[in-house]
Amino acid sequence: MRRDRTFTEDAHRYLDGEPAGQLGAVERSAADRLVAETRAYAERLEPVGAALDEAVMAAVRRQPHAGRRGAWGWLLTPRPVRIRPVWIPALAAAAALALWLVPSRPDRRIPEVGSRAAAAPDTVYVRFELAAPQARSVSVAGSFNGWQVGALPLVRVADGLWATTVALPVGEHRYEFVIDGTRWVPDPTAHAQVDDGFGGQNSVIVVGPKGLVRS
Amino acid sequence: MQPSDGAVVRQVLAGDVEQYRLLVERYRAEFGRYAVAAVGDRDLAQDAMQEAFIRAFRSLGSCRNPDRFGAWFFRILTNQCRNAVARRRDVAGLDGVDPPGGERADAALERQELGARLEAALARLTPEQREAFVMKHVDGRSYEEMAELLGVGTDALKMRVHRARDALRATMGEQP
Amino acid sequence: MSAIRGIIAAAVLAAAPALVAAQQGDVEARLQARGLPADLARDVAAVATDAAARGVPTGPLADKAVEGWAKQVPAPRILTAVRAFAGQLADARDAVRAGGLAEPSGDVVVAAAEAMGTGLGAGPVASVVRAAPNAAAAAPALSVTAALAAQGLGSEQAATIVVRALHSHRPMVQLLNLPSLARVMHSEGLAPGDIGRKMLEGGDDEGVEHASPTRGVRPPGVPPSGQRDTHRGPDN
Repeated sequence: MRRDRTFTEDAHRYLDGEPAGQLGAVERSAADRLVAETRAYAERLEPVGAALDEAVMAAVRRQPHAGRRGAWGWLLTPRPVRIRPVWIPALAAAAALALWLVPSRPDRRIPEVGSRAAAAPDTVYVRFELAAPQARSVSVAGSFNGWQVGALPLVRVADGLWATTVALPVGEHRYEFVIDGTRWVPDPTAHAQVDDGFGGQNSVIVVGPKGLVRS
Repeated sequence: MQPSDGAVVRQVLAGDVEQYRLLVERYRAEFGRYAVAAVGDRDLAQDAMQEAFIRAFRSLGSCRNPDRFGAWFFRILTNQCRNAVARRRDVAGLDGVDPPGGERADAALERQELGARLEAALARLTPEQREAFVMKHVDGRSYEEMAELLGVGTDALKMRVHRARDALRATMGEQP
Repeated sequence: MSAIRGIIAAAVLAAAPALVAAQQGDVEARLQARGLPADLARDVAAVATDAAARGVPTGPLADKAVEGWAKQVPAPRILTAVRAFAGQLADARDAVRAGGLAEPSGDVVVAAAEAMGTGLGAGPVASVVRAAPNAAAAAPALSVTAALAAQGLGSEQAATIVVRALHSHRPMVQLLNLPSLARVMHSEGLAPGDIGRKMLEGGDDEGVEHASPTRGVRPPGVPPSGQRDTHRGPDN
């Protein structure tokens, strides 16, 4: 978080179009400069073109009747692969949602889905996938393996798609993919991205005992 | 007189699929600049927007207030735009084009062209900050409008915009 | 391990430089084993020693240096990042201690630092720690809070969700599923604010009914349909 050169409260109010106190010359100049830059940027901006409309309609005509499935029926319907969504297992989210929505009472016994008497495991198999058609090698490195490059390689599973399955302890993990041994890229399907402190990002997943649902 | 969002949604759900085009035209016009500014690449933004419209169509039945289709669609769009930004970091590097993030932004910052530096600096904001800044200063929306679209309070939105401005100021430096 | 030695090191810093040197040697040796050049390992170890004197766990600092080296970050930048991280860990440690954990382990402090990195203040961090049933639960509780906040729920809302869940004795396994849940809801078009509200309310509107993929088979305890959520803001 950078602390040098922030706008004053008054400058923010000025930029918000609200009544503001007097701005010093430097503040005023910086604020006006930001406005000018933004205006110039906005003027050059070419919005998405009208060709989109027909492309959408063409795709939409191929769909089954609109809105037939409810909001969550989505979860269980296989979808065409582009960046493949990773459901491990597919019912985990529905089960998690159902369990979460039940108010928790100490004496209530809630049967687990696919009920086994055993306690929830504390390591879970997690699948990592990346679309990297031009890569020669891909591995995953993170807090779970000491950031070692190449120790957890992915293999090509389909056209340009790399994958591997790793046993991870439940809890939070930070990681990135490493392409060709040197290029570090985040995982767009992770729960969140956080600052890694070196100017880049780490992907974050929180693994529950029932597995992981990502986008 | 143009039919309301609600009327169009109900017709589409009743089976008149071609009516969906009205919503596509309406919200491409409304959010098309936002998508490009949030993603930073027109082609990728177009893909994201297309995917968003298709997903919205598929789950149209779960839009609980059809008269406010726009706000519901906007969230789907924002999600797709974020995915596009995240994927872009991978794809851009692989094609041998400028590496994502740091180096490219620094190069653009050297250029004096007004507006170019902002474009590069936007890429360094967090998704929330970038989206909020674009809505406020590129689309020119009020905080109340933004709150309706995002489902987030105006206080939180002001903070995002303020932080975005501070970050942009720091990135772009004090040079003229 | 390192936290306790840190305390001892702080207490006898002037009197027993040998002990301090031993700890610094640990970090240094570990970094060298991972391939860091000698002078960088030494500099990072020195930062770790200073940090330990303030009670900051040194393990995460070494991890951060290892991460930077693996990512081929230039040495000076690694050092800067480790120093900055030590500062964040110090603040996080204070917050965790305010929550009642006197000698927090490295992972709790790191989890707290991550939560604070998403904008969560020291007060809410302390609340989450206080709400955890035992020391071992504090780290995952904070990690879930940080992840939900990073997913756009807002740090205060995320903390409230986690604290309430802990107070109602929800098992940790359920909390750990929350970020996955948030992801599913987000991909369905719900705004983060709505996701947070749903998690707080436990879901009491018709979203629940559409949610069930097993029509006709209702998980025990889920109320029958027909219950409308009458409090509806300007959302869908």
